[in-house]
Amino acid sequence: MEQSQGIGRVQELTYELKVEEVMTRNVVTVSPDNRVSDLRELFRVNRISGTPVVDAGRLVGIISIEDFIKCLANGEMDCRVRDRMTSKVEVLYAGEPVVHAINRFQVSGYGRFPVLDRESGRLIGILSKGDIIRALLKKLEIDYQEEEIHRYRASHIFEDTVADRTSLTLEYDIKGKDFDNAGKASSSLKRTLSRLGFHPQLVRRVAIASYEAEMNIVVFTDQGRISAIVQTDGIVLRAADRGPGIPDIELAMQPGYSTAPEWVRELGFGAGMGLCNIKKSADEMELRSEVGKGTDLRVTFHLKKGGP
Amino acid sequence: MTLDQVKTILGAEVISGSANLKMEVKMGCGSDLMSDVLAFIKSDSLLLTGLTNPQAVRTAEMVDVKAICFVRGKRPGQDTIRLAESKGLPLLMTELPMFEACGRLYRAGLPGCSELKWSP
Amino acid sequence: MTLDEIVRELSLSVKSCGADLSRDVLGAYASDLLSDVMAHAEKGFLWITLQIHQNIVAVAVLKELAGIVIVNNREPEAGTLSKAEQERVPIVVTELSTFEIAGRLYQLGLRGQVRC
Repeated sequence: MEQSQGIGRVQELTYELKVEEVMTRNVVTVSPDNRVSDLRELFRVNRISGTPVVDAGRLVGIISIEDFIKCLANGEMDCRVRDRMTSKVEVLYAGEPVVHAINRFQVSGYGRFPVLDRESGRLIGILSKGDIIRALLKKLEIDYQEEEIHRYRASHIFEDTVADRTSLTLEYDIKGKDFDNAGKASSSLKRTLSRLGFHPQLVRRVAIASYEAEMNIVVFTDQGRISAIVQTDGIVLRAADRGPGIPDIELAMQPGYSTAPEWVRELGFGAGMGLCNIKKSADEMELRSEVGKGTDLRVTFHLKKGGP
Repeated sequence: MTLDQVKTILGAEVISGSANLKMEVKMGCGSDLMSDVLAFIKSDSLLLTGLTNPQAVRTAEMVDVKAICFVRGKRPGQDTIRLAESKGLPLLMTELPMFEACGRLYRAGLPGCSELKWSP
Repeated sequence: MTLDEIVRELSLSVKSCGADLSRDVLGAYASDLLSDVMAHAEKGFLWITLQIHQNIVAVAVLKELAGIVIVNNREPEAGTLSKAEQERVPIVVTELSTFEIAGRLYQLGLRGQVRC
């Protein structure tokens, strides 16, 4: 979980960033009329291993150091670039998310892609894997600084309190079968945790667990209570009800298992994913239930040093 | 992709939040099951769904969905619209079925939520 | 395009054996609401869903669908698979989401029916 959260941020960034934000803008290009021998100085001075071939602003091919070496070996240094370039060029467009570019690098094995403006079709940049990694690292650094600020805000209330143990309890009463208000408690909890300054990732995980638990109370019971106990080292979410209870917890935890009636499915719930979702968002989960008495769910989220 | 572009690509009608059409969505997710959305969607996504009850808005709020586009010409009721407005969540509606809507947005460059297989 | 070609093109994993993959796929319909599929999916269409319980087979048979694609790598229930074999309904699974598999199928040329 911890690890996947970390990778999650990098993944998110690859969606957020556009190719044009990451690419190198000052592209060194050659004309199709250049001789292959001209490439030697061009590659050496600019420290590059390939360059797009451009004719009147239009991308017509790409030529790499491999092509150059081949010509060198065959004694064809006088050849025109147009005769030795790869003319079927795979390109990226400026507005595409970086995730697309990464997939293309993986599938094609190419080292670089020319970037075109989709409307004009003109070459506006070039993208290498190095460009992507540099941009991601830079973004992560900025994120890290923002996270520091978040951590400060969250810990603030506790730092000003002198006690052996400190906790803040938020309680919400849930009415069963009240679909108009189903989710309201989780919505309030989410907003409160955000205001307290918890990291958005953590707030999201608590909100998902809370909302699924709230839906279970609304669907299966007459009333229940959701509480969140905020402590210095984490958040404990509890959902307790006096409903019918769960006869077989192991079975209930299986993905896809559901006892929800069809009308609940039409509401978008009851596909047997609720408890799995809760478990997936949590660091620890404990579920106790007695048939005829009720259910008590306890979910723990750790506040980790150095991350959500 | 901006909501304005989504609107054009899907021939969609803006039901609420017409002031926010410059807003960017980074990924698309199509589902009629809210537990699925809770499990898989990432922040800043556009949610495409045929589910028009207030739970769609609640779900969107929990996982920081940027906007919802209802598909299959399903028009949400006043309670859903009011809730969305109170949360500042833009709502769109298209006559297209889910498959067409997803296909057209994907073709126009909007990625999905699980596409990246990150292998550093 | 046949189901066989689609399976190969998108590396889907075939879950129900014995089903006929050579049938033509005429279009696609994505939905997780059974009642909606009953009302709107068309004959010969490929159905994309994350539902895994055995009712999906019955719906596919009734609507004469070309097959079912289960998304997000969800494992169909045992009862679903045995019923699918009985009824010879092809079931395939993809790790992609509905949005992405719809996108890829769209790029392969499949279309959904447009309601007027």
